[in-house]
Amino acid sequence: MSAPGDDLARRNRRLALGGVAFVAAMLALAYAAVPFYAAFCRATGYGGTPQIAKADTGPVGRRALRVSFDTNVAPGLEWRFEPETDAVTVRTGKTATVYFRAQNLSDKPTAAVATFNVTPEVSGAWFDKIQCFCFNEQHLGPHESAEWPVVFFLDPKLETDESMARVDSITLSYTLFAAPAARASSRNPEEHAGPAG
Amino acid sequence: MASVSGFTHSEAEVHGEHGHEEHSHPTGWRRYLFSTNHKDIGTLYLVFAVFAGVLGMLLSIAIRAELMFPGGHVFPVLSAILHGDGSHDAGKNLYNVFFSAHAVIMIFFMVMPAMMGGFGNWFVPLLIGAPDMAFPRLNNLSFWLLVAAFVMAMISMFVDGSPGFKGFGGGWVLYPPMASTVGTPGPAADFFILSFHLAGMASIIGAINFIATIFNMRAPGMTMFRMPLFVWSVLVTAFLLLLALPVLAGALTMLLTDRNFHTTFFEPSGGGDPILYQHLFWFFGHPEVYILIIPGFGIVSQVVATFSRKPIFGYAGMVYAMLAIALIGFAVWAHHMFDTGMSLEAQRYFVFATMVIAVPTGIKVFSWIATMWGGSISFRPPMLWAIGFIFVFTVGGVTGVVLANAAIDRYLHDTYYVVAHFHYTMSLGAVFSIFAGFYYWFPKMTGYLYEERLAKWHFWATFVGINLTFFPQHFLGFQGMPRRTIDYTDAYWLWNFVSSIGAFISGAGTLVFLYLIYEAFAAKRAAGNNPWGPGATTLEWTLSSPPPFHQFLTPPHIPGYGEHEHEEPVVAAGSAH
Repeated sequence: MSAPGDDLARRNRRLALGGVAFVAAMLALAYAAVPFYAAFCRATGYGGTPQIAKADTGPVGRRALRVSFDTNVAPGLEWRFEPETDAVTVRTGKTATVYFRAQNLSDKPTAAVATFNVTPEVSGAWFDKIQCFCFNEQHLGPHESAEWPVVFFLDPKLETDESMARVDSITLSYTLFAAPAARASSRNPEEHAGPAG
Repeated sequence: MASVSGFTHSEAEVHGEHGHEEHSHPTGWRRYLFSTNHKDIGTLYLVFAVFAGVLGMLLSIAIRAELMFPGGHVFPVLSAILHGDGSHDAGKNLYNVFFSAHAVIMIFFMVMPAMMGGFGNWFVPLLIGAPDMAFPRLNNLSFWLLVAAFVMAMISMFVDGSPGFKGFGGGWVLYPPMASTVGTPGPAADFFILSFHLAGMASIIGAINFIATIFNMRAPGMTMFRMPLFVWSVLVTAFLLLLALPVLAGALTMLLTDRNFHTTFFEPSGGGDPILYQHLFWFFGHPEVYILIIPGFGIVSQVVATFSRKPIFGYAGMVYAMLAIALIGFAVWAHHMFDTGMSLEAQRYFVFATMVIAVPTGIKVFSWIATMWGGSISFRPPMLWAIGFIFVFTVGGVTGVVLANAAIDRYLHDTYYVVAHFHYTMSLGAVFSIFAGFYYWFPKMTGYLYEERLAKWHFWATFVGINLTFFPQHFLGFQGMPRRTIDYTDAYWLWNFVSSIGAFISGAGTLVFLYLIYEAFAAKRAAGNNPWGPGATTLEWTLSSPPPFHQFLTPPHIPGYGEHEHEEPVVAAGSAH
């Protein structure tokens, strides 16, 4: 009778190994979701991710939308950062250029990166940037200031998107963070403390 | 059936590898600490679930005591007692810690251990005619990992969390930035995360064990479509666990490395996105709610069939309905995230897919009703709980269809309507099915009959109390009362007051329950093999009560097998005796 018992043990082991492999695959897929999600956002504008365009070549559309600007500086970065104007009104398909002013308030040279998105999030697919300081890390010397242009246009195809039908105003928001190298050296949990949101 | 008398010491070979140690089974504390016996481990799980459930209920009683009147007066006092800080802010923080711990305890340390660990371990081998689980030692590991996870969650309540406060108050969902170093720089969140990891590991090991047992260890003639529905429900749940839990483990590991090792999966400063966490979490989280309820479907199916003295209506339909719920359950997660800025197309899809789940769920509800229809119904305690389950789960299901609408969800999101909805499916649905199983199988597990009058008192106190608790919360939600806040304006007072009274009534019901267990063990009324009569047709009722330490060393006879083959599943074999 030992043969059926051994057989059962072997079949059980095989199923268990299959289960473990399956779990490992799901775990790997969870991590694979990270780059996939980033690519998905870039491709579809999901989560208010603006698109990157080479140039504005399309036709000019009919709708005019208000585009507001919002700037933030994360704790740990001693910079001032603001747009030259609070808002502009742009016709779809027409390129607009807006300057953002930044100044390093500290006594040492610092690097910063900007995160960005647009709200309502559904407008990400139609918000095309041609040029932006947020594509690269920015460096400012002690008390140096700079003006950075952002060149963008609204894709006229948004007029056919029913999610955009009642959207008249889009906010483009930036948050400047100390660049990763600088942040790692001065990381201090107390700086991050504070109420969420 | 000769399965009990077939138990002799000459048959160790049936067990293969682990037959050896089980002959002289350990006694005393060693019997449980080192146990590899599926029934002993099931008992451990059930005792643990009762303990955790009472603790989780005490937390909720504290929450309802706080919300009985506006003003936030109770938790500062509790905070002064627990942490020596009686300030109003410390009270608010402790409130957040309490509802977070309440959720985690009830989900991971009460419902899942009771259904899968407790009833699953106890009855899956019995119902399929197997001598034990496929991996008895892994089974032991599962249980003690769960205990370790529970200890971690408890420690979390007493270590530093948000600046200046103790414990983690970010809810069971652990959304960053509240759960990242921004909201909770202290180690309370790390303990919480590691507790999830251990509990998840325990569940994954358990799930693999169930799958191997059900696939490989059925008695000859116990074909898949002869398996009782509880076994099917455990099998479906095991697959859900294997699919969903690794995703949670991945998301939590990312959160953990974000917190401790400077990764930026969910940190915007490094290009991460907290919304990604929500997607990963709910890819786990939505199937998780089916993990909590599907074993209950199985229990209720068997109880309803037993006490209607009829085979379950539409057995195959019930199986396919469970499979369909499990499958669609993986494609609806973003209905928890309608407010995160999705396109209308995406919202439409998630609304539709969510509503589709109502179809297989409806098949189940109507099949239970059709089983009772024309049956010889006896309202013994398990049947009361099963019928109570059908009622409250249907209420919870209907409010779920309401919430599935993205437009309505905009208004009701994070209000007490949602709290009412998921408590109707979980706190009432899942818990009622657990009690149905408990009262159904208690005589089998212990060998003693409980006092049925007490059981009915327990049922009515819980049914009235819990409906009084949660039904008014629908009104509060419509009025816009937000969840997860310690205080509210006076306008919300009346229904909060009613809700709290209900919570105290169901709390009193729990005292009846604990006394009932004591009374049953003290009175020692012998149950006999089958206290439920001809309606109870599944294999466990052919064994003694409690069953022998080892059972089915020679495989039991499955009705219909070896005679002329017919299509009826074993639960349908009403004339097997």
